[in-house]
Amino acid sequence: MKLKEMNEALQRLRDKYAVKADGEIVAAKEGSIGNAAELKFADGTVCKLLPWRKERRFIELKNLIDNKILEGVSTLRFMNLKAAACIRPLLYRELDLAAFLGEAEVASLFATVNGKTANLIVRLADGKSVSIECSAALPPNAEPIDKHEIIARRGVACDRTVDTQVPQASIYEFTADGEKRYTDTDTELFGFELDEILTIRAAYAVLSDPSLAAQWNAIDANVTAQVQNALESDKSRKPVCC
Amino acid sequence: MKPVKIAMMALTHGHTRKYYQTLRDNSKLDWVASCAADQRAKDVYELYNNGVPCYLSAEEMFAKHPDIEAVVIASANDQHLKEMKLCAERGVHILSMKIPTFDPKEYDEMIELVDKAGIVCQIELEMHYNPVVKRLQEIIASGKLGKLLSIQMTNITLSPVWAFPWQGVPEASYGSRVPLKKGDSRFRGGALCDHPHIFDLIRWLTGSDFDYVYSQVAPNLRPDIEVEDMILASGKMKDGTSFLFDPSWSRLEERLAVPAPGWEIFPKRMEVNVTITGEKGTVMCDCFGPNVYHNGAPNDRYTVQYTYFDEWIGLIDEFVDCIRNHKQPKINLRWHRQTIDCMNACYKSVESGLPANV
Repeated sequence: MKLKEMNEALQRLRDKYAVKADGEIVAAKEGSIGNAAELKFADGTVCKLLPWRKERRFIELKNLIDNKILEGVSTLRFMNLKAAACIRPLLYRELDLAAFLGEAEVASLFATVNGKTANLIVRLADGKSVSIECSAALPPNAEPIDKHEIIARRGVACDRTVDTQVPQASIYEFTADGEKRYTDTDTELFGFELDEILTIRAAYAVLSDPSLAAQWNAIDANVTAQVQNALESDKSRKPVCC
Repeated sequence: MKPVKIAMMALTHGHTRKYYQTLRDNSKLDWVASCAADQRAKDVYELYNNGVPCYLSAEEMFAKHPDIEAVVIASANDQHLKEMKLCAERGVHILSMKIPTFDPKEYDEMIELVDKAGIVCQIELEMHYNPVVKRLQEIIASGKLGKLLSIQMTNITLSPVWAFPWQGVPEASYGSRVPLKKGDSRFRGGALCDHPHIFDLIRWLTGSDFDYVYSQVAPNLRPDIEVEDMILASGKMKDGTSFLFDPSWSRLEERLAVPAPGWEIFPKRMEVNVTITGEKGTVMCDCFGPNVYHNGAPNDRYTVQYTYFDEWIGLIDEFVDCIRNHKQPKINLRWHRQTIDCMNACYKSVESGLPANV
């Protein structure tokens, strides 16, 4: 991540929208399994960032539930495949999204783990099921592939197109240099990579509403424990209450 | 090769209509008769104008067509043993639907009577003859993926219960009325019973058998049916491969009495997708695609129109080959037993809330 440029962009947003609270995006502490960067407030306190909660596709999926476009959610199905050193950050994001989009706490989970792959069946506190399929074993340089589907008595919502297997791009460029894809979703932060944009947006959200910091730090502690529970579930071959 | 004189029995299974074209077109077959379980099934059969006589009694059909060599038993699961007996007594070869029975004692009885009669009994698991699955097997066999780590599969469809009501009746689908778990008003016999394919395919793809499985049901999308419609299963194979299956009826449907265009509410009525991760690579596949799309009649809804269903061709080719050349089908009763055992273990897990050994 280009922290210097990201912090410049964060300050631009603060200035533009007259946000009073100040802070800096810094690399996450070693051992943290969540987002690669966190927010350090001017007073030195730190906020864990949950950037996916500010990602537009997830906000829209949640809106579909909140606005009762979908009714009676039964099951959520998540997939996250990427090239990564470890499965834990993938599980961390998906478990947080389970509670965020499922709108209920994770009550229990059952996991099977094998190498850099993990499969989870989660029960939310209100009875919904969530399936989570994660793999950190995509080859280096492979584009991440993920999918989030919400299945309800009225309606199915998904961040992927029907009858497709991989994410679509906004632009497909075919030149003598080969094929290149672009997906730009943020005009104010044009030019940054997606994970950088999401981190800046998350940091900006916390500065705009500093009460989020305590909430997100509590979620971080909770989800970090859930990831550990998943690894233990695989070892014990038992579902674990969270 | 002399065509095999074949008949269809019961005509109440959801796959019934998928045989019609193959039975008519395949020159290795001579489709001589059908018998329906009841007048409703006979009436629906007659809509297809197959030009093959249809009776309301299997005994009558066999009496009028003593030359029948083989039968497609296309009935509710609880009728299979009785109908297999009728066939075995006459030395008639059997193509069984995908669930012979969930009852282990009945299953043993089926094996015994087929062995005693010396007949072919092939189980209808048509995904084996799917070209995408064939390619998938080739990719795995090439070693490109390395040692397999994890497999995820969906076998999701709309619910057939409105067109094939027995699939919503626990006794007819599962074989008996068994509550899913304490405090749950639903019974075994729903979506899981309709979707054995993925439980079978993983055994072919890995060459391994099930070790243990954990399964969980979610709130029904259709609160007015008494069997489960949303269910997940996860576990490990004996070789350590981890798996996650979705065999749900997670696509809603119009409640048609006879399947027809406009059946689906969600654009894609059926999906069998597979993701396989190995130590050296990952492969993702959609066993029924690419397709074509429309938003025309009858409901003007965006709809996925499937472009091929070749599975029944290969399946029937193998059946005929086994009959004429005295071979054992790939999917025979003995092979299929572990698949059924795993599905029963899923129900056991739902009941106990714990994984079940297979």
